[in-house]
Amino acid sequence: MERQALQKQIIDEALKQGFTDCEVFYLGGESFEVLLMEGEVSNYENSSEGGISFRGTYQGRTGYASMERLEEESIDYVIQAAKENAMLMPEEECEDLFGGEAYPEFNGYYPELEQVCVEKRIQLAKRMEEAALNGAESIASLDYCVLGIGKREVAIANSLGLDISYTKNFASGYVSAIARNGDETKKGSAFWKGRDWGDFDPEETGRKAARRGAALLGAGTVNSGTYTAVLDGKAMTSLLAAFSGIFFAENAQKGFSLLKDRLGEKIAASCVTLRDDALLEGGYASVPFDSEGVAGKNKGVIQEGCLKTLLYNRKSAKKDGVASTGNGFKAGLTAPVKTACTNFYIQKGDKSLEELFGQMENGLYITDFMGLHAGTNAVSGDFSLSAEGFIVENGKIEKPVEQITIAGNFYTLLLDILAMGEDMYFAASGKGSPSVLVKNISVAGK
Amino acid sequence: MLKKSVVENTLSAALGTGADFAEIYMEQSKRSTISVVNGRVEAAQSGMDYGIGIRLFFQNKAIYGFANDTSEKNLIRIAREAAAAARGDRVYTLQGWRRMNMACMNPIRIMPDEVEKRKKAEKLFLAAEAAKKYSDIITQTKTGCLDIVKDVFIANTDGLWAEEQRVRSRFTVEAIASSATEKQSGHLGPGGSLGFELFEQIDVEEKAREAARIAVTMLGAKPCPAGRMPVVIDNGFGGVIFHEACGHSLEATAVARNASVFAGKMGEQIASSVVTAIDDGTIPNGWGSAAMDDEGTPTQRNVLIENGILRSYLVDKLNGRRMGAKSTGSSRRESYRFAPTSRMTNTFIDNGKSTPAEIIANTDFGLYAKQMGGGSVDPATGAFNFAVLEGYMIRDGKVAEPVRGATLIGKGMEVLMKIDMVGNNLARAQGMCGSISGSIPTDVGQPMIRVKEMTVGGRG
Repeated sequence: MERQALQKQIIDEALKQGFTDCEVFYLGGESFEVLLMEGEVSNYENSSEGGISFRGTYQGRTGYASMERLEEESIDYVIQAAKENAMLMPEEECEDLFGGEAYPEFNGYYPELEQVCVEKRIQLAKRMEEAALNGAESIASLDYCVLGIGKREVAIANSLGLDISYTKNFASGYVSAIARNGDETKKGSAFWKGRDWGDFDPEETGRKAARRGAALLGAGTVNSGTYTAVLDGKAMTSLLAAFSGIFFAENAQKGFSLLKDRLGEKIAASCVTLRDDALLEGGYASVPFDSEGVAGKNKGVIQEGCLKTLLYNRKSAKKDGVASTGNGFKAGLTAPVKTACTNFYIQKGDKSLEELFGQMENGLYITDFMGLHAGTNAVSGDFSLSAEGFIVENGKIEKPVEQITIAGNFYTLLLDILAMGEDMYFAASGKGSPSVLVKNISVAGK
Repeated sequence: MLKKSVVENTLSAALGTGADFAEIYMEQSKRSTISVVNGRVEAAQSGMDYGIGIRLFFQNKAIYGFANDTSEKNLIRIAREAAAAARGDRVYTLQGWRRMNMACMNPIRIMPDEVEKRKKAEKLFLAAEAAKKYSDIITQTKTGCLDIVKDVFIANTDGLWAEEQRVRSRFTVEAIASSATEKQSGHLGPGGSLGFELFEQIDVEEKAREAARIAVTMLGAKPCPAGRMPVVIDNGFGGVIFHEACGHSLEATAVARNASVFAGKMGEQIASSVVTAIDDGTIPNGWGSAAMDDEGTPTQRNVLIENGILRSYLVDKLNGRRMGAKSTGSSRRESYRFAPTSRMTNTFIDNGKSTPAEIIANTDFGLYAKQMGGGSVDPATGAFNFAVLEGYMIRDGKVAEPVRGATLIGKGMEVLMKIDMVGNNLARAQGMCGSISGSIPTDVGQPMIRVKEMTVGGRG
């Protein structure tokens, strides 16, 4: 069935069946991906999908249900399931729907991106693969070489008259190279994500992955102890992402974040400014509105070390008596509206990497963390993670390091940041950070 | 689920592109979840997933497409679009059908979609209450349940026509203990290929008290000392060590690309001789069990390592072609959104000869990891890491004070060779395993084991 007609039909039918208001959220997309192995296409994927998520008020309670079968005969399943779910929910948790507001102009869809033919895309992937294989002498093979295009469409319609939608697309390339020397194996990766194939340099992406892998060969460990360290943008971003939930008002309200009631307090070193910007030009996570139809905004979460705001959806905002920050997102069709970041990044500073090393003199340069989904405690802020990178002596990279764990606490780490790099890394998720110099890093090695 | 003519026309269209093999996978899943925070319902969801995936092989190349629109027109479009990326040099034709009758591996007593949701919520309230009551310092509780009824249909150009209904249920509980400055959590998540009878087989209150006990114990614990030391890992979820350190590297996904440390090591010793490890997709009502894998191959019991010797990889059809090996019934996927590939089912280290008491008594000093958290591994390098959820020091052959914040890191092969004692108290525990074909239910398991020496990360 056609998307808009289906949305309307579900709304009409739900109102008829006793819902006092309701909303139909549509999420659809198309994606293309090609995976290469040894110069050949080894996997190729092409897909289109769409589904709806329903929420509505039934007897004063909010009920949710979703489906991917966009046909008339499934409408009844969604409405009946939403009723049953509604009856389990406490009345005071009832979510009121939003009729809409003024929205920023949003330009996220680039049809030209999809017009490059399949053969040409495969060629680009092959060039990236070749550059990675030849990027360093020690490169033995590639772990992955993938090129893709993704398109996403979001449309929200509700019984209050809201009827909005946007489409965005991106192309991306990712390559990961395996470097070998005797029994030692290391991996280096690089990715590109953008909206203009003209910006994609497959050779540079491939070479970058190769260089990163090769540089890590010959790694040793270090003595256990407390170090000063530079966390590069990627490593810092992965930590920030793992602990992003501490900035969600809904977690603070439930006692799952130690930032409850700390607004206006200094929670980070004064060089730290953290933003969540839904409108960042070209940002990977830019959107004109969130899953509740609230317009996207640019927020300073931490400004010069002070906590300025938490991130709100409409429900958590109501509890604190403030306005939603436009961070109410559904993780997928079956997920309820929770809180999520948009482009969530630490603002860059003015120190070059060399200057950061110089200030540190002796310490570690950490380029990657492993095990973030397990080695972090989102409630306490504790982390203990396997890491790799380099030993820095007298301000110069000395040799690679591996088999170490780095332990600390994210809340403390924010206060222990000494300086901010001038570089900027953004992960595909839209989260980002420059390289940062941090003291008091507890390292377990030999 | 699909008309025979639609299946035949789609597969014929696929073969018309020159593919030498084509497959249709279709699913309809009804899933229901409830989550309860501090004794109140936080979310109740129901969803119906529905879609189809079409896969074509051109020798060792695979093309995959998926969609929710299952009209014949759309299926044929997906099949034909593949020709843009690959073209075979001869055209194969469709043979007759071989209908597979799957023996029911996981008998279900109480279909979860026929149980009122209120009844499920009541179990969660009970558990929340039990966790809260355990101690005054339990400040938060999260309990939840998930059930899924998944109908799967697979047909391919080898003539396979197979259907299976897969039912799974899971209960989760997390308890958080707090002091003025600290929070620690304990969690458990038992489940199986079971219906609502899961809640008759487990005592949710007992599980809740156990989660609370871990949180309370860890809140009082000192930071774990860092360094290299012997590590005793207890049974059940402790098996995540094998899952991460070895299991992933035995998947043909990594082996066929020569991106695994275990590639080319068949028949060689890769673990100490006290280690025998098995992946068994046929365990009745097991969390990772099914009658067939997601390519329609019957699941089987695969002995991966026998007394330290590598005996088998986990192989799917596509990587089997690349490696010249037969499928081991190990091809799995989260949903139609993913092309299937070799994955684990229920994977465990088998029982050894030592008793748990002997293992502890024989360890002068080390870490006792009673409950493990999750972890991850890079199959290319074999480097892994695990979080220890509940840990204690071992001193003079006795379990001593609790320690928190420990992680275990190392490389798969090194650790496998360093396992020097294996207990006789095998138990399995449930997890969700994420990899390139999505997030799938898998069991991990082992008896208590001792690793002679491991790097322990901590803050002490």
